[in-house]
Amino acid sequence: MTAHFVDLLDDLRRRSLRMAQLVEEVVREACEAVFQADVEKAKRVVQRDNDVDAEEVEVESEVIRLLALYQPVGSDLRLLCTVLKVNNDLERIADCAVNVAERARHVDARTLAGPYEDLRQMGPIVVHMLHNAVKAYGSQVVDDAQRVLLEEDAVDALYGQIIRRLVAEASASPAKIAAFLDVLSVAKNLERIADHATNIAEDVVFVCTGEIVRHRMH
Amino acid sequence: MVKVAEDQPTEAAEAAWAPMLRMPIPRVPGKPPTPSSECVIRTEQLSIYYGSFAAVREVTLEIPSHRVTAIIGPSGCGKSTLLRAMNRMNDFVPSSTVKGKLFYRGDDIYRPGFDPVELRLRIGMVFQKPNPFPKSIYKNVAWGAAINGYQGNLEELVERALQQAALWEEVKDKLQDSAYALSGGQQQRLCIARAIALQPDVLLMDEPCSALDPIATAHIEDLIDKLKSQYTVVLVTHNMQQAARVSDRTAFMYIGELIEVNDTNVIFTKPGNKRTQDYITGRFG
Repeated sequence: MTAHFVDLLDDLRRRSLRMAQLVEEVVREACEAVFQADVEKAKRVVQRDNDVDAEEVEVESEVIRLLALYQPVGSDLRLLCTVLKVNNDLERIADCAVNVAERARHVDARTLAGPYEDLRQMGPIVVHMLHNAVKAYGSQVVDDAQRVLLEEDAVDALYGQIIRRLVAEASASPAKIAAFLDVLSVAKNLERIADHATNIAEDVVFVCTGEIVRHRMH
Repeated sequence: MVKVAEDQPTEAAEAAWAPMLRMPIPRVPGKPPTPSSECVIRTEQLSIYYGSFAAVREVTLEIPSHRVTAIIGPSGCGKSTLLRAMNRMNDFVPSSTVKGKLFYRGDDIYRPGFDPVELRLRIGMVFQKPNPFPKSIYKNVAWGAAINGYQGNLEELVERALQQAALWEEVKDKLQDSAYALSGGQQQRLCIARAIALQPDVLLMDEPCSALDPIATAHIEDLIDKLKSQYTVVLVTHNMQQAARVSDRTAFMYIGELIEVNDTNVIFTKPGNKRTQDYITGRFG
């Protein structure tokens, strides 16, 4: 029975990791869609979000089933709790990616060039951060997870810069408010993705050590 | 004027919720029980041999007062041997010898001249298989106190012990029936009542639910939880979920050694030792 349970846990972990990789691709595509004004790519992001939603329900059901039938303890319990939490973060990340991609319909790519270079920088950093969080989730190595936590500050700093610039420019050019709101939406959703990536990294620390490191200064 | 939304709670719903809202919320949810400062039993480098075989090896362990301490570990790890050493039941095994110290309330129970019979009045035991005497329910509970010259009201003592063992309501009208007429779970609670009747300080329980069905097991587990307010309980169990449910402290033993002891909450969420981790998650061996 134990060997069977260990196999089921491994299957679940692989499944959750595949979902994480799918979400990572969705975020990458969303960034490409908005920064290259590629509406077709944006449509694909929305379609793939449906796959993520379906997978989220499947993974959650399996976690509940394993908790009910096997009453795991120790590292098995920590793993199942982590899969459940990461599952939620991944679904929210995909939703944020959809929000980013949907801006591709409205945002003029030229708006995002030049003055909003920091927004362009933010995209790859967030993608990189998520990639490292997923990598840490796969490897379950604390050092990998902690590297992700260190990256969050860079994203927050860029987000702060963008907000300050938007406030200044919106005051000066109120006619462009719709475009500014699009920029704000992209920035806000990228910042949220970085937050969810941080959550995933913190959950990796929990699964490895049993320590809850959320809400601490990194 | 603010429009009241239709889905706002009605007065009736609020009335139903109000008592729940008044219920106190624990300040620190999930905080482990405050460790008892008083240590009732303490072993120091205790080793127990059967002939030349060391069944228990240099175990140092403290049993806190008014707590349930569970001892878990695979078959043959020495947990029952350690438990039986606590009221010198191993004295009945001719080949057994003891090295190290075992203190009950500061007194070394293996020192020359120590009276094990007196000790067993203070440290009662409940065994794996219910073992009532071939007598009435009443006599099963009264017997120990009677032969030890109990001067009080025996009927009151029997009723109190049966109530504490959560059996009174089921047997109060048939106290003169044979104890053998009871179900397995009732017989085990009768054995607990028999131990309680002697008004012990500590209750040792050696897999008290292993011969019982899930309902009877749940009765005993509820009972163990209640008993700790008056007694110190040491529980040996194969059932890890049971240890997790009923104990405050858990000790894990393996091949005669004490590998880890900690708050049960810690042992079952983030054990410190890999062997504990492997055992509780069933990856052992």
